[in-house]
Amino acid sequence: MYCYIYDEFTQDKRYEKELLEIENRLTDLGLAGKTVRMALFRNVQEMVRDEIRRGAKSVIAVGNDETLHKVIDVVSGTDAVLGIIPLGSPNALAKLLGVPEGVAACDVLSARIVETIDAGIVNGKRFLTSLSVANFRSELTCDGLYRITPDVSGSLEVRNLAEDEYNTEHVSDPTDGRLETVIRVGVKQGWFGRRIMRESILPLTQLAIRSEKPIAVVADGEEMMGTRFDIGIEEGVMRVISGRGRKF
Amino acid sequence: MFNRREETNHMPSSNGQETIIAQGVKVEGDFTSSGDVVIDGEVSGSIQTAASLRVGDTAKITADVTAAVAVIAGVVQGNVKVAERLELLETSVVDGDITCRVLSVAPGARINGRVEMGTEKTED
Repeated sequence: MYCYIYDEFTQDKRYEKELLEIENRLTDLGLAGKTVRMALFRNVQEMVRDEIRRGAKSVIAVGNDETLHKVIDVVSGTDAVLGIIPLGSPNALAKLLGVPEGVAACDVLSARIVETIDAGIVNGKRFLTSLSVANFRSELTCDGLYRITPDVSGSLEVRNLAEDEYNTEHVSDPTDGRLETVIRVGVKQGWFGRRIMRESILPLTQLAIRSEKPIAVVADGEEMMGTRFDIGIEEGVMRVISGRGRKF
Repeated sequence: MFNRREETNHMPSSNGQETIIAQGVKVEGDFTSSGDVVIDGEVSGSIQTAASLRVGDTAKITADVTAAVAVIAGVVQGNVKVAERLELLETSVVDGDITCRVLSVAPGARINGRVEMGTEKTED
């Protein structure tokens, strides 16, 4: 049984025509199912949990990256498969999964290529894409064995399923059981102290950030403040519907 | 005003198993890896990899090093155990004992320690 989670913004008039086309195409493909609409004061996670309990085998987020992020935590770890019909923007995650925007996504759902992927976890909260820290100067304990400290303030990115910002051809592999950890630091070189960015890359399973002052960590676009962050990976905890053009 | 300019180095991207410790970071502790390792920064403690190790000319290592294959261009203060081939480039300095099967030393490379070669395989 399919359960479609419509984000609140999709009720806007500009999506009306496209949604109608999508619904018709889903009916043609025999993929029609229950529709659940997000709304203010409605707990979407609770609604999705109820639908899975009632037997939904496929939970399809209709919306953008944020829509998907809202349902990830509930769907992962269950028997349900997660899919997306991209509408609006940003839709970086759908692109990585090889799912085209709008009505074309229905055919991807119909082909039903299911990939089992990992999820990152930070202080008990799951993330699918990446976690980042700007102005990173704290101590990072890796796999409980060694510590890394940047000489100067830099940036930290922990990727599960994300593109390399500087090399979009490279996408971290969400099926390898590791989190690709990237520390970028500007190193002064030459007479004029010209800064050259240096990139450390570590495939890790466990990380701990310890900071004396509270720092902001952004995981799947959501900001968290704190001085202690324990990051890990849950292997093969999520099943997602992907297209042939997936980037991993 | 001059030090505000930034550019990105064209480091090879990780293949998922390769570890790169770049210039600008310090590593302390027992660093272990099952994949290839590239070190251009500072490391103290110990380094162990089952694959290849490349130590760049900006690297400063104060650690015992164990690898299958290694190319060293930087400074290593500690013992170096390599199961197969060890290559010391002209800018390399090794203050410690070396154990390997095959050794290549470029002119200018410095070794301050005992060298043991031709053994079957090093102990881990």
